[in-house]
Amino acid sequence: MNNTSTSGITPTTTKIFGGYRAATDVYDESALAPGNSRPHWRDFISSFEKLGREELAVRWENGRRIIREHGVTYNVYGDPQGLERPWELDMVPLLIAPDEWRSLEVGLAQRAKLFNLILTDLYGPQRLLRDGLIPPALVFANPGFLRSCHGLRVPGEIHLHLHAVDLARAPNGQWWALGDRTQSPSGNGYALENRIVLSRILPDEFRDSQVKRLASFFRILRDSLRQLAPQNTDNPNVVLLTPGPHNETYFEHAYLARYLGFTLVEGGDLTVRDRRVFLKTLEGLQPVDVIFRRVDDSFCDPLELRGDSFLGVPGLVEAARAGNVAIANALGSGVIESPAFLAFLPSLCRHLLGEELKLPSVATWWCGHAKEHKYVLDHLDDIVVKSGIATQARKSSFGGRLSNLEREDLIAAICARPFEFVGQEQVALSTAPVWLNEKLEPRRISLRAYIAAQGDTFSVMPGGLVRVSPAASDPIVSMQSGGGSKDTWVLSDSPVAPVSLLTAAGQPLSFPRLAAELPSRVADNLYWLGRYVERLENRMRVLRCVIARMTDEATSENTSELAELVQLLVRLEILHKRFFGGVSATELQHEILALVYDSERVGSVRELGLRIRHITSVARDRFSVDTWSILNQLQSDSRTRPGRIPLANALSLINTLIMDLAAFSGMEMENMTRGHSWRFLDFGRRLERGSNLINLLSSALAPKINTPVLLEPLLEIADSSMTYRRRYLAQPQLPSVLELLVLDKGNPRSLAYQLTALTELAANLPHYGNDSIQNPEEQRLDRLTAHLLRCSIPDLSRLAANEQKETIAQWLGEWSTGLTAVSNELSHHYFSLTISRVS
Amino acid sequence: MTYKINHTTTYDYTESVSLSHHLLRLAPRDLPHQRCLNHNVEVAPQPAISERHFDYFGNAVTFLTIEGAHKKLVVTSESQVSVTPRATPAPAETLAWENVRTSSRGRQMGQSLEANEFIFDSPLVKTAAEYADYAAPSFTKNRPILEAALDLTGRIYADFKFDPKATTIATSLEEVFKSRRGVCQDFAQLEIACFRSLGLPARYVSGYLETDPPFGSVRLIGADASHAWVSFYCHGLGWIDLDPTNNIMPTMRHFAVAYGRDYNDVSPIRGVTLGTGEHTLKVAVDVAAIAETAKGQGNASISTATNL
Repeated sequence: MNNTSTSGITPTTTKIFGGYRAATDVYDESALAPGNSRPHWRDFISSFEKLGREELAVRWENGRRIIREHGVTYNVYGDPQGLERPWELDMVPLLIAPDEWRSLEVGLAQRAKLFNLILTDLYGPQRLLRDGLIPPALVFANPGFLRSCHGLRVPGEIHLHLHAVDLARAPNGQWWALGDRTQSPSGNGYALENRIVLSRILPDEFRDSQVKRLASFFRILRDSLRQLAPQNTDNPNVVLLTPGPHNETYFEHAYLARYLGFTLVEGGDLTVRDRRVFLKTLEGLQPVDVIFRRVDDSFCDPLELRGDSFLGVPGLVEAARAGNVAIANALGSGVIESPAFLAFLPSLCRHLLGEELKLPSVATWWCGHAKEHKYVLDHLDDIVVKSGIATQARKSSFGGRLSNLEREDLIAAICARPFEFVGQEQVALSTAPVWLNEKLEPRRISLRAYIAAQGDTFSVMPGGLVRVSPAASDPIVSMQSGGGSKDTWVLSDSPVAPVSLLTAAGQPLSFPRLAAELPSRVADNLYWLGRYVERLENRMRVLRCVIARMTDEATSENTSELAELVQLLVRLEILHKRFFGGVSATELQHEILALVYDSERVGSVRELGLRIRHITSVARDRFSVDTWSILNQLQSDSRTRPGRIPLANALSLINTLIMDLAAFSGMEMENMTRGHSWRFLDFGRRLERGSNLINLLSSALAPKINTPVLLEPLLEIADSSMTYRRRYLAQPQLPSVLELLVLDKGNPRSLAYQLTALTELAANLPHYGNDSIQNPEEQRLDRLTAHLLRCSIPDLSRLAANEQKETIAQWLGEWSTGLTAVSNELSHHYFSLTISRVS
Repeated sequence: MTYKINHTTTYDYTESVSLSHHLLRLAPRDLPHQRCLNHNVEVAPQPAISERHFDYFGNAVTFLTIEGAHKKLVVTSESQVSVTPRATPAPAETLAWENVRTSSRGRQMGQSLEANEFIFDSPLVKTAAEYADYAAPSFTKNRPILEAALDLTGRIYADFKFDPKATTIATSLEEVFKSRRGVCQDFAQLEIACFRSLGLPARYVSGYLETDPPFGSVRLIGADASHAWVSFYCHGLGWIDLDPTNNIMPTMRHFAVAYGRDYNDVSPIRGVTLGTGEHTLKVAVDVAAIAETAKGQGNASISTATNL
């Protein structure tokens, strides 16, 4: 198909690309001139055109849906709208021609090799300093130079296992390196997700364009990381260390951990004993061999690095010093992210590799040298002034845009401490077509490329993350400031063998995960997820019961049930005590709506939804893509929608959410492996369901409550009306209702069912040490079950018939106390958290 | 002269601590004028791990791990140090301070490269124009550097009041400079800031001070804890010590333990504990001359072993 379509592109047939107005003063990735595409874009454009606007709109919507369902998000610091923002992906990829990529690839591999040699020297003999090839300020004034990591053994002398380079294309078509990410580069997980989405919405274009696959690069990365293990080389335990869900790229951490088959951990999940790193799991301490970190250098160990960090692991540097754990990238590798190094790369490359630097960096003048200092001051209008060493120290200044006062301040600052500054040429970034409002518009782009160490060579990812500026006029690209992204298609000369990556989207690269690698923190979260999901369902069933009686026509039955339900809600502490005597219809409606929509109200549908969202985000690597879709559906369904019939809207919202929860439970029952993850989730659910039922029954049996009127609603809330009707063929009677809801082991909503399930779960929870000793929660559950089984149906019937509601309530109270104790024991036993302090 | 130094640090925890890691920098350094004859550290409770290495600045560091619940930690360090007099350059004959500044810039090699390590800002000592301004009256045009440095030391001694209640480890240099009060650590870091703000290399020295003065000598300040002073660099002469807390040049009564850019690099004990409570800290230091009977310090049996 390559040859047939190339010649078919003429401006008259290109409806979509034909309307693309590429900027003329910069390089455009797709167009040689307006209406004239670059040769390597022509097949793609032709295929894109054939789809037509309507189909493209459908595909675009589809792509956005996949992103939503996968829960691809990016956290924006200081965003008042909330933490997570959906990932922005453009439908048009960046295409890179085969020969062009080959030269980029060579330049990138050389760069990684060079950077690695510089790091080896700085953390070793420091000959480059002694020989005057690197001015001392670049290292000694650099907060990224970690003195406590000097001399640490690094396996194979490889410091950089993953290196990222930001590239920009100048108007003459030349690619330039804008800067490097060397401590824990981000974005390659997003690049992978972009690829998965785009190859789904443009499958034919993807196949026909002969796009190089990404999977092999991730396999290299995974294998190289595994090979770092100083021990357990057959089946090393590799963890991905994340700062946690508040980090901007947390989605990616969870995503990569799943994809690479590593355990996602936070600093608190790890501990150092015997100069070794261990993962705190439910089954005790498991040795960790390799840490693939997404925590910045200086935050990794509060003992030897920044003492105010709670993200790291105390003693980690000592474990690395002892050679007992490998850390990727090596601690301290952030030192060469400083822009000042860019000025010295050509001479360093000649010195260390005996060759010219193949991939030029953006022109950089380090003000620590008098000549460059003067040059920067003389050309202030045309260049960008940045912190040359401490990268976070100040924002970049664009000389030409400064007021006189700002300009004077800048000059004074440079003259006071020249070595802290660099001047950089302003690069006019290239543009690429971006699909916006059903047409293509040019936007500035930069490309982040990735290089992984493979033995003593370096492998370049055939692709990358393209970042797009938010507005046509904006020359800055950054995900933080709200730009979008693109997939990068590196084209091949020859057909590309399909790699299983695309069919196995989102699935781990088939690697056995350790059975015992469930961190205690994650188990804790799963337990509470189970509880909150169940709590939400229960709360919605209670509210639905009330709303239905408020909106249905006012029969006398409805009215009396409603009045009694309000009393029940007061007993359940869902409604305030002041409504005990009764409530006006308006007041009740107001309260009920608040109980659905008010996110500030503890226990409201919205508030519980947000809690669930928070917990799932913390344990997101534990859910399949399908489960994620459901959880995301739950979130988007639970958003407030304006409407004129508030109660009816609330009712339909609740109905939708109950279906979402049913889908989640179905996924949990049918798709989750019966490991500890599932056990803790289900334990939470059963325990919550049991105690909700007890509360419901105790409240319904409370003095001054007209219990018989509430029997029908009780069955409704406990989702047992159908069963009751089929079995008893009669109006609800207290003894039969109690039998069904309390004693019937076959009813998945009954108390007996929950207790039996809990007992079984407890028996299979992980044990510490001696197996023959029962866990405290196990013993307590056994006592509870025994108690329950002793109270037979005739007993209950007799009590119920004699109106001995108090005695029944007393039993319920005892069980309730028992369940609370079980929960406490569980938390104490498995989840007790510890905080570290520095002194 | 030979001295015996005892340094006991006691941590009392309000809540039981299940795991703790510590870094100790307690072993006196071996220097041309100072020999560490013996160094011994005892830790209670018994540590699970006690490993020694030398840090970036050449200081001996012991890494400790204490496992198992404990509510108290006692670290007792015992050292024997012999000191010999060191030559003091004639202040008026030292290089003009501007020459030292010029030689400290640009491409440096050898020992001067090492000095470059101590010119720039460090976590606790940030250079600023106000420190350069404060130092300016001492650093007049072409003044020999040691003369200027001694003058600065004297002014800090006169202008700042020794007041253990005024500052804690967390007090910033800016606050010390404003309140004109502090302890040896603050004065050392202040003087370092003055040197560095002028473009001169200066480093932090942690160590001990003789507590029991020989008959007829003045009792020096800072007796009951570890001490700190400053060392500046002069091309051709190397590092020269100054004690701004006592306004003297350290000779026979100062014992150096560790060098670094500031207190952060050399804190005698730094630890991270796993637990929720607070802690109180007690430090006791005793330095005493011992009789010159054991003349063994010259032979090869000099021991710096850490015996835990």
